Amino acid sequence: RGLHRRLWTSSGRHKLNSSICLKTRHRTLSCFLSVPMANPTENLDANQPIREPEDEVEEVEELNGDEEEEEEVEDDEDTVSKSQTRDGRSSVDSTKVESLFRRMRESPVPVRVHDVIVKGNEKTKDHIIEAEVDAVREATTLQEILVASRVANSNLQALDIFDSVNITLDSGPPELPGTTNVIVEVVESKSPLTGQIGAYTRAGARSSSVEASLKYKNIFGYGDIWDGSVVYGCDNSAEVGMGMYLPRFRGLPSPFSSRLFLSTQDWLKFSSYKEQSLGLSLGLLSSKYHELVYTVAWRNLIDPSRTASESIRRQLGHSLLSALKYTFKYDQRDSYVRPTSGYAFTSSSQIGGLAPDSRSLRFLKQEIDLRYAVPFGFCNAALNFGVAGGVTFPWGSRYQNRRSSVPERFFLGGNSSPVCSLDGPSALWGFKTRGLGPNEAKRKGDDERDFVGGDAAVTAFADLSFDFPVRWLRERGIHGHVFACAGNMAKLSENEFRNFTAPKFLETFRTSVGAGIVLPTSLFRMELNYCHIMKKQEHDRAKSGFFVTFSAAS
Amino acid sequence: MEGDQETTGFTLVTRKPNFDLPTACPNCLPAYIYLKLAQLPFELAFNSTFPDSDELPYFENGTYVAYNNEDGGVIEKLKKDGIINLDSPLQSLPDYLALKALIVSWLEEALTYELWVGTEGISAPKIYYSDLPWAIGKVLFYKQTYMARNRLGITKENAEQREKQIYKRATEAYEALSSRLGEQKFLFEERPSSLDAFFLSHILFTIQVLPETSVLRCKLMEHSNLVRYAEKLKSEFLEASSSSPSPPLHSFPSSFSRKSSKPKSKPKTEKTEEEKKFKKRARFFLAAQFLAVVIYLSVMGGGSSNELEYEDEDY
Repeated sequence: RGLHRRLWTSSGRHKLNSSICLKTRHRTLSCFLSVPMANPTENLDANQPIREPEDEVEEVEELNGDEEEEEEVEDDEDTVSKSQTRDGRSSVDSTKVESLFRRMRESPVPVRVHDVIVKGNEKTKDHIIEAEVDAVREATTLQEILVASRVANSNLQALDIFDSVNITLDSGPPELPGTTNVIVEVVESKSPLTGQIGAYTRAGARSSSVEASLKYKNIFGYGDIWDGSVVYGCDNSAEVGMGMYLPRFRGLPSPFSSRLFLSTQDWLKFSSYKEQSLGLSLGLLSSKYHELVYTVAWRNLIDPSRTASESIRRQLGHSLLSALKYTFKYDQRDSYVRPTSGYAFTSSSQIGGLAPDSRSLRFLKQEIDLRYAVPFGFCNAALNFGVAGGVTFPWGSRYQNRRSSVPERFFLGGNSSPVCSLDGPSALWGFKTRGLGPNEAKRKGDDERDFVGGDAAVTAFADLSFDFPVRWLRERGIHGHVFACAGNMAKLSENEFRNFTAPKFLETFRTSVGAGIVLPTSLFRMELNYCHIMKKQEHDRAKSGFFVTFSAAS
Repeated sequence: MEGDQETTGFTLVTRKPNFDLPTACPNCLPAYIYLKLAQLPFELAFNSTFPDSDELPYFENGTYVAYNNEDGGVIEKLKKDGIINLDSPLQSLPDYLALKALIVSWLEEALTYELWVGTEGISAPKIYYSDLPWAIGKVLFYKQTYMARNRLGITKENAEQREKQIYKRATEAYEALSSRLGEQKFLFEERPSSLDAFFLSHILFTIQVLPETSVLRCKLMEHSNLVRYAEKLKSEFLEASSSSPSPPLHSFPSSFSRKSSKPKSKPKTEKTEEEKKFKKRARFFLAAQFLAVVIYLSVMGGGSSNELEYEDEDY
């Protein structure tokens, strides 16, 4: 799931409700601690006649403090009315509950989980649900159980296959005091087929895309989600794919995803080639910090315009890509869209040529990205630093002479902001898409040049952001920034690394400075900048002036 | 590379060499021979990853490029752009066009048929897919066979009839060309032309690339003067610059069959060595995969509980 971050969807079929309810030994008094989907005030009103509202409000707020609002949902009325019938019992129970809450506030209440009971799953296999609730089983106090239940609840909702999830803590068997049974009631989605159209960002692509997909959920009961999708990207790319997602693969905690895709990317205007790929990518490991993806693809580079330069012409043809990519991401910044404090680090390593056939594409690629944000006290100002670098090299026999494959090389420039993207050297203010670096003359008759990309690339930027004194702008998050950036690329393959010298590399660094206004919206971050190119090389596609950048936070 | 590339040399980009030919592809060989007949110094570069492209062969000089799928072919384009034109004094001759039609349509069709259908593409993998991974090579082979059948208009119903027609035409063409050529050095007077390039390429390909069992090859071998013609031109123009001497064509069928049998056994032993290497690598790869899975299961299966708590992932 680390591959996607959903910005906006219009599915309209989702109705999610969740709650955790607690029952005491003697009576079934429930105290509803609703998880953020529902409107907390509605629930409280329903429960008001039974117990002291103050305690309840406190409990609700304590446990719901740091969760964010997600999509809009409707309350399931059944659970509310259930509470009303149960709660209309004696006031003796209400005093017992009061004392229980008092105990809970003072010190940990030791309780042991006796059993986990799963109800309501007709299709879904028990072990899928139980695996998400494992942490509850290991809790030793009531507070821990409640917290773990909340986590388990959100994990079960994240599976995306249930319409509602209810976790109830019932009293354990009477002969075992101090125990509780955890009852998980789920309501599976009645219509497993959903359609979605949305604007997304993908970690691999450099720009946003529009995607239409059809999802079929939980066919085999393993929480599996099958989807077919058509994606059209803003960088002239199109992809048709079919995917399968498993939250748990044979008991392993990491989800498994696979995707069969047919994609095409059009770089004719910039580098005179078009890339067509047919392949399969497998997400082997996906956790908060780590990601491991294996891709095997048949790639074809063609030039229907017949204007390519010499080195692109030599690369046209078919190739087999069989590559493993490992990404480590550690992001401690306080915000993706406007980081004001914290730091982030990404390292991505890729090795291609993992096939017994020596004729597949063999390359090594390493990218590093480091960010640091320093807050200043006034005007919500912050200074953002960033350094990114990457290198790619072929391997195998006579690797020093071989040329690197064009799609694996680095390309700098584009209309996205370096502040947001956390995936290696890519963007520089002021330079157009694929607008700098090694370039060659196209075929005679065409005055343009082909940008063929570099084997090594380095970018660095510094960005000072600050709020405007106008309150209207501040409320909307519109702020200003002043920035400077620098970047360069070099060719290393085909023995060019022998000619590579650090002084020459530093001498040919491209730099630009500028200032602008940042408008963060829910979908993306838009910047209106004036940029002044301080240093560029001959043939670079860069111009001083006003321009707009769109970037989705990665 | 930054900066302009000022190369004053000529380069011809073709498919890779094989079967003792400078390029084993039947579409690239005529252009090579044409430049050799014109005695134009040029470099040879190879593209071995694009077997289904009709842009190859292409000729480049700095930023000037002449693709094969423009203006009727590389040779025609070179003539038109004034790079090299061997045919200018000959185009007005009455039988120039007739011979051209014979060679460029009937013989070319026969060669395409024989390569992809008649011999079932037995020589095709070495010509086109030696540098591509096996799976891609196989798919492209089926694709190119299908396209060749389409181009020749062969369907299930007319396959036999079409085959007869193609062989009949090839036989008639050989006879006509054989009697036209006699013992001349070139097809026209004493000067080489593009038709010589096409015809020589056809003969060399049929003899050296197609297997001995090929019907077309047998039909060609019946005309000894054609083979002598090819042998003479080959030794004079193609081997003059190349260092490795190639086997004589005229001492056939016996010596040629011997020669072709030797390379057959050599490729067989090479093949088995290659196969052995491939199998060994495949075994290592499978073993490494198995080991990785075992390590993964043992490491990840144990340390999984840490990940579950406070996992409010955004997705």
